[in-house]
Amino acid sequence: MEILPILSALRRNKAGALLIGVQIALTLAIVCNSLSVVEQRVERMRRPSGIDETNIFTLDNRWVGQPADLKARIDGDLAALRALPGVVDASSTNSFPLRGGGWSNVLMLTAEQKQPTAHTAIYFGDAHTLAAWGMRLVSGRWFTADEIKEFKVNDIGVPAIAVITRALARSMFANGDALGKNIYMNPAGPTRIVGIVDRVQTPFAASSWGESFIENSMFVPYEYVNNGLVYVVRTRPGQLVAVMRAAENKLFAIDSERVVGKLQPFAATRAHVYRAYRALSLILGTVCGLLLTVTAFGIVGLTTYWVTQRRRQIGVRRALGARRVDILRYFQTENLLIAGAGALLGIGLGLALNLWLATSLEMARMSLGYVTAGATIVLVLSQAAVLLPALRAAAIPPAIAIRSA
Amino acid sequence: MFKYYLGLALLSLKRNIVLTTLMIAAIGVGIGASMTVFTVLRAMSSDPIPEKSSELFVPQIDNWTPEDLNESPSLAGGLLDQLSYRDAMALMRAHRGVRQTAMYGVSFTVMPTIPGARPFTATGRAVYADFFPMFDVPFRSGSAWTAAADAGRANVVVVSAKLADKLFAGGRAVGRTIDLDRREYRIVGVLKPWDPQPRFYDVSDGSFSEPEDIFLPFSTAIDRQMAFYGDNNCDAEPAPGWMGHLNSECVWTQFWVELPTAATARSYRRYLYNYAAEQRSTGRFHWAPKVGLQNVRQWLVSERVVPDEMRVSTLVAFGFLLVCLVNSIGLMLAKFSSRAGELGVRRALGASKTDIFTQCLVETAVIGALGGIVGLGLTVVGLGVERTILSEDAARLAHLNSGMAFMTFGLAVFATVCSGLYPTWRASRVQPAWQLKAQ
Amino acid sequence: MLKMTRLSKIYRTEVVETYALRDFSIHVREGEFVAVTGPSGSGKTTFLTIAGLLEEFSAGRYDLDGVDVRGLDDNRRSRLRNEKIGFIFQAFNLIPDLNVADNIEIPLRYRGLARAERRRRIDEALERVGLSARARHYPAELSGGQQQRVAIARALAGSPRLLLADEPTGNLDTQMARGVMQLLEELHSDGATIVMVTHDPELAIRAQREVHIVDGQVVDLVAQPRLVVPAQLQV
Repeated sequence: MEILPILSALRRNKAGALLIGVQIALTLAIVCNSLSVVEQRVERMRRPSGIDETNIFTLDNRWVGQPADLKARIDGDLAALRALPGVVDASSTNSFPLRGGGWSNVLMLTAEQKQPTAHTAIYFGDAHTLAAWGMRLVSGRWFTADEIKEFKVNDIGVPAIAVITRALARSMFANGDALGKNIYMNPAGPTRIVGIVDRVQTPFAASSWGESFIENSMFVPYEYVNNGLVYVVRTRPGQLVAVMRAAENKLFAIDSERVVGKLQPFAATRAHVYRAYRALSLILGTVCGLLLTVTAFGIVGLTTYWVTQRRRQIGVRRALGARRVDILRYFQTENLLIAGAGALLGIGLGLALNLWLATSLEMARMSLGYVTAGATIVLVLSQAAVLLPALRAAAIPPAIAIRSA
Repeated sequence: MFKYYLGLALLSLKRNIVLTTLMIAAIGVGIGASMTVFTVLRAMSSDPIPEKSSELFVPQIDNWTPEDLNESPSLAGGLLDQLSYRDAMALMRAHRGVRQTAMYGVSFTVMPTIPGARPFTATGRAVYADFFPMFDVPFRSGSAWTAAADAGRANVVVVSAKLADKLFAGGRAVGRTIDLDRREYRIVGVLKPWDPQPRFYDVSDGSFSEPEDIFLPFSTAIDRQMAFYGDNNCDAEPAPGWMGHLNSECVWTQFWVELPTAATARSYRRYLYNYAAEQRSTGRFHWAPKVGLQNVRQWLVSERVVPDEMRVSTLVAFGFLLVCLVNSIGLMLAKFSSRAGELGVRRALGASKTDIFTQCLVETAVIGALGGIVGLGLTVVGLGVERTILSEDAARLAHLNSGMAFMTFGLAVFATVCSGLYPTWRASRVQPAWQLKAQ
Repeated sequence: MLKMTRLSKIYRTEVVETYALRDFSIHVREGEFVAVTGPSGSGKTTFLTIAGLLEEFSAGRYDLDGVDVRGLDDNRRSRLRNEKIGFIFQAFNLIPDLNVADNIEIPLRYRGLARAERRRRIDEALERVGLSARARHYPAELSGGQQQRVAIARALAGSPRLLLADEPTGNLDTQMARGVMQLLEELHSDGATIVMVTHDPELAIRAQREVHIVDGQVVDLVAQPRLVVPAQLQV
């Protein structure tokens, strides 16, 4: 089309074109970065924890005072819970996936090794943990009841055996072939890997510092004998709510001198821990929507104004032989040139913004797909917005060239 | 003259109601969105104790090898962000600051006073008596315990207003006892409602959570072997048992010191350095002394108290405001250009360029003010929505106080006037004679 | 060339019906230079817009260069306008943001001519009106007379069959007006068909013949002397 004359005319009327171009550039830069950030968050939120989420509830248990017979009490609680109708299994532990707080350790391949090979979360597991968490063994075996030892707070010692996740196995050994091998939690002694489970997230999987070892988890065969631990209960499908209520009543029936905290389905834990992500996604999504709307309206407003200013000219063009569609195409081409230039500037701004976000705020880099997606959205929006004023321009009667003096 | 221009501005706005609405809407939405997010960010990054934030410091000592240090997840400014029990006690004994306190978080089960009610858990903090005057903690009744109580591991506590009211239904609490973990403690003081934002003295359990309900002497907590309720980081496995835990190089204790002048701060830093050097000479440390001393504001920055999510949101929201303002420039250009005839006539009738400039600027300010009102309303609505989506701790910060309200309105007017400068300047340059001929 | 037969144009409002042209007929043959005159409000502007295919008419018939324009859709009319007619407006109507060459190029673009062809025609047209040196100038840099000559060049560049001029010297001073009229006469003697609308009898004299419109109807006057005969004569 007649690109050169359009450009020439634009150069004489820089202000308006510049304004639209800048709006488009800023919109593109913000939208593509926001989409990237939101997509990352949504991606992280969707990752499965690896346990049977829909059928599990958890609670924090703490007896009043310092009871002496902790182990008996814990065993009694668990036995009672397991006996409840609708319960598949129950176990006690120090923490569970996405809980937020928990234990972590570094792992080495030899006793002398100074630099750790991997980070891992530590979960205390008993003989029932595999069933209570609904995990899937891929190789090897779980702990047997007689392998479980007692562990009190401030105890030390390395476990003789452990079960790890597939991700951890791959972090420690090249092809993930970890079964039967030894690893070292500290120089004191080796821990032999007897089993590998499919996937279990750490308690810190939602935090930024846990991002590098999200599925590195290690189960150690200890019963955590502590006044202050977590019960994990797995129910049959559809019975979670009823069993939760029954469990609470049962525990207080056994002993009312206790505090049961955070009795909630796993879904509530997941929702709580990802609340910040969800909030960010909602805020960014809303702002992006508003941004596109405002830019679109801005284009409509400014272009309508231009059309009004150039009413006479448009009539003249029509008189000289332009068809309606030629006028339409003129404004669409003009808009495309402006939006195209704005989009190029926006791509540069977007990449610069992304670089800054990546370095100062530890956001991940944006893939080029977002840049192209953002540019497409912005160009399509721009062309759609200019359609209305362009159609109005095309409807200007050619007689205006003569009639409006 | 100003009232005249005001009247003209309102007339002009009414004349082209569609354009005016678009402008006010764009500015209002831009202000609303950005202030909704900024309110929370500002609350998160505000100084929790402005009168004293430059006098309260966190000492940091590196009691780990440099290699172990690199592996640690909780560093602040390249150093460990908590102290070992050993070092904290050494600093307490040295007593080099005007006031100082070691502290750590604990948690209790509380027996209710109402018969039939269930026991509940409450968070606590083991501190020295200096904690209260250091952090300007206000008392409703009673007072902190004495230094003697600190030394003597007394069974005394100071409780929050919330806990006192829960247990004693508004009645007198000082002097009564409270059952914590099946042990009796005498209440010596009740605090007024106290909610420093952020809860800077210990950010390990959420920077914006409510303060603890129970405060007790540090020595008492150690004596009772109360487990810590917070972060614990170890470079190597400690010796077994409680004593092993205390004597290890695990860091789980916080420490704050009050140093009122720059000179005292410098001399404290020198003391820390010498302490670390001394530990090296005794063979405990094998590396060069590495110490730090950060005041409240520096501490909040090193600990990254403001979540990155909040920063990104704020950046994006203000980017949106910028686009809305660029939008306004265009709309204002259009508005003033279409009035070139009227303005030309005014010029012919004797108005100077400055007069036209002022007239248009006043009109811009009026648009900004109207946009500011809309923006303020939208901010209130936005904060309400924000409260439902943020975490409970952050949601407490999503409230508009009068200061922020003024800022919102002021920003709207200021930003609109700034974006109106170019269109106004263009308008003031309209030629008087030329426009008359076109009548 | 331009043949209107019993043409009428009616403007309807809610209350009243106005005949801008009533039963109007005119026949301009190829090579003629016709002036269309009449008082203000007589309908000459309406005649011009209809002749130029800028507006539609209510009744009657209009043949342009042998083509019956009735019922043609907007696209066809635009094409016809582009190919057959060259406009010369009273207010010049040059586009201020484009230079002289780009202004002249406009109708050529809509015809879809190749670049080389367009260039050739622009150069020829500028040569014809004597403004070859001003190709890169902007309208604001030219005098009124020069602007009108550019407009004439724009009209000529497409090799139209008919030149329609609306008060071509209305915005010019006497000297410039003389120059423009001279140019029009030259074009006529080169074989152009020109229909010029004017209210100035001095200008009308320079045409071959004059068609006088009063109240939407033609009063045709043959050569000299000029006698206003208020009867309807069809030629």
